[in-house]
Amino acid sequence: MSTELHYDVVVLGGGLLGCFAARHLTSYRLRCALVEAREDVCTGISRSNSAIVYTGCDNKPGTLKARLCVQANRSFAQLCAQLSVPFVRLGSLLVSYGPRGDQVVRRKYDQGQENGVDGLAILTGAQAAALEPGLTPGISSALLAPDTGVTDPWALCYAAYENARANGCKIYLNSPATALGREGKTWRITAGAYTLRAGAVLNCCGLEAHRVQELCAPPTVRVIPDRADYLVLDQPAGPYVRHVIFQEPEQNGKGLTLIPTTDGKLLLGPSEQPGGAAPRRAVTPEGLDFLRRTAARVAPGLELNQVIRAFGAVRPNPFSVRREGDAWVPEDKGIHSFTISTPCPGLWSLIGIKTPGLTCADALGAMLAGEAAAYVGKDRPNPDFDPCRPLPPRPRELDSAARRALVQANPAYGRVICRCEDVTEGEILDAIRRGAVTLDGVKRRVGPGLGRCQGSWCTDQVLDLLARALGVSPGEITQDGPGSPLLGGGGT
Amino acid sequence: MTWDVLVVGAGAAGMAAALSAREAGAASVLLADRSARLGGVLPQCLHTGFGMGIFRQELTGADYAARWAAMVGAAPIALRLDTTVLSLTPDRRALLSGRSGVEELSFHALVLAAGCREIPIGALALPGTRPAGIFTAGQAQRMVNLQGLSLGRRIVILGSGDVGLIMARQFALTGCSVEAVVEQRNHCGGLLRNYHQCIEAYGIPLLTRTTVSCIHGEGRICGVTLRQLDSGAEYVQPCDTLVTALGMIPERELLRPLGEALPPWVFLCGNCRSIHRTVDTVSRQGEAAGRDAAGWALRSREAG
Repeated sequence: MSTELHYDVVVLGGGLLGCFAARHLTSYRLRCALVEAREDVCTGISRSNSAIVYTGCDNKPGTLKARLCVQANRSFAQLCAQLSVPFVRLGSLLVSYGPRGDQVVRRKYDQGQENGVDGLAILTGAQAAALEPGLTPGISSALLAPDTGVTDPWALCYAAYENARANGCKIYLNSPATALGREGKTWRITAGAYTLRAGAVLNCCGLEAHRVQELCAPPTVRVIPDRADYLVLDQPAGPYVRHVIFQEPEQNGKGLTLIPTTDGKLLLGPSEQPGGAAPRRAVTPEGLDFLRRTAARVAPGLELNQVIRAFGAVRPNPFSVRREGDAWVPEDKGIHSFTISTPCPGLWSLIGIKTPGLTCADALGAMLAGEAAAYVGKDRPNPDFDPCRPLPPRPRELDSAARRALVQANPAYGRVICRCEDVTEGEILDAIRRGAVTLDGVKRRVGPGLGRCQGSWCTDQVLDLLARALGVSPGEITQDGPGSPLLGGGGT
Repeated sequence: MTWDVLVVGAGAAGMAAALSAREAGAASVLLADRSARLGGVLPQCLHTGFGMGIFRQELTGADYAARWAAMVGAAPIALRLDTTVLSLTPDRRALLSGRSGVEELSFHALVLAAGCREIPIGALALPGTRPAGIFTAGQAQRMVNLQGLSLGRRIVILGSGDVGLIMARQFALTGCSVEAVVEQRNHCGGLLRNYHQCIEAYGIPLLTRTTVSCIHGEGRICGVTLRQLDSGAEYVQPCDTLVTALGMIPERELLRPLGEALPPWVFLCGNCRSIHRTVDTVSRQGEAAGRDAAGWALRSREAG
């Protein structure tokens, strides 16, 4: 039987929110730990989203969401500089093709003004068309939000994780929380093989957050996931638009979003479907149909034969629940604001943090860490805290002289494994050192397999590097965690 | 120094181009390939059917490559293996990267013999999950034949291109169950010879006018929905591995920074020019490209 591990604050869940909460906890003089159910961080909701850094003009004035989003957007460049994460302030255009859309443009402009968003402007259709000649003619008006940006959500999550770890946060992987209870003045957590004691607990368990909270408290809010599908288009399509484009449809429902990514590709989506019973991240025919149809209408010159992947995402929609007999029934309408539930002293649960959760992850983490540190009486700053996360070398970002010097010092940075994305052996070894234990973990950290060949050239080489570095046989390497071996099939 | 001819890709086309460039008078020829060995995709082709046109013999791909590799080895051709050509510039410079270093060099003429890549399953944007156990046919061939890896036991092959057919036979020979080869056209996509030798001879069902319409499996793939295109009927075919033979795309991304029109000093050959069905025509096209490149280099050198 393992001994109990004592911490001031324990974070449950290694997604964006958990990793940023952990990062900010290390800025105080306290002992903290991050506990993650899976073999790696960034495997849940955080792994698939639109990669957009919002300005805050979509959020209702006076709400926590609006306040945090505006504040987070302003400091996003600084955050990404500290953490060595890609960030481009492309600006966005919300384009309308009729009176209903024009009203939305006007409303979001007013809302943004009230929230304090800088630089907003309502453009005429002609002005918008001049900025984005690839969009279907007939734009009636558009909202330009110059501060909208795009980032690399994976890089952001891993950066927060590595920064937290470097500043002393202890990490427990493969440890799903199965028991959570208050004993005396502390919390007792059973997670995988570990028993932890903590003065405060931050529950950032994503889709599981309500379940974890219900280990110790009656239900208040539950997550009912929606699904969303995306299409990824290869690099030649990246510059098709210059801004993030939100198309506002004239009918009720969702328009198309076009997102030029930080690695030069174009993302179309998200579509929106109810969650249903099918697997969580499964791509739906309806979603794909929606994306293809609206893309043809909104961006007629876009060649959809440049698609290299379709993927599905989940959105954690929070609903208040009420008791009916023995069952807990969700209200009809979801909760719009960020839901931070504090059912008992010393426990904070983030349940159903969706858009703009990526934008606000650092701000939410800072807020929660501050509250938890104050609660355990240890909110003095940690003098050794370093907010910066250095990034191992990225040969493709160097000029040829610097690249040459790097390879001279370490030949592994000379050997290109993924030709599509120009990823070298050295970077893959770095990814493994940084915590990748699966093919997807390597892919999300440094990119092999994200390109136009989708890993058909490099997967076996990444497999080999993983197996060697981890000291296991290739048959033990998985694509994405338990149950997903790359080799050998189901073992039947 | 300025190389007379830089050959990118040391498969069938590139090896032939390098040799013929030398024969046509190029004083310096550099042959670069990202693999550690010569031959491109040929060494992983352990089946016969190569070389009737050039050697008047039925060889395996590996043997065919070995013959050419021996000729390249005996000729004064500089090799950069395990080396990737990262970029080309309009002023005829190339940036190469390998474990031995990063090298920037200039050249008079370029032979692009970079082959092709397989269309990945992602390009189909299929509904369903994204589980482990999906491979392209060429990738499967490399992993099985060169690395001795076992990919799965119960296999569906999507697309009836030649590599898919060859792999169907290979899976059958190693005791796997090939459940079906699925083809949306009303006929086999590969050579008739391969249909007879690889599919028919092993009793593997070829399902024409059929496609995969959904992928199932949370961790590892556990099945695919097959749709009969004419009737619209669908059923789930269990499998633990899906191999795709969806076709090839010429690998020409290196040329992108050079603009729309091909500069006169670029000579394309092999599968990066157009997709070939037999290797002999690839080698012949490589020889022609090498000659032309050498000619251009000599004129370019004279013009100073």
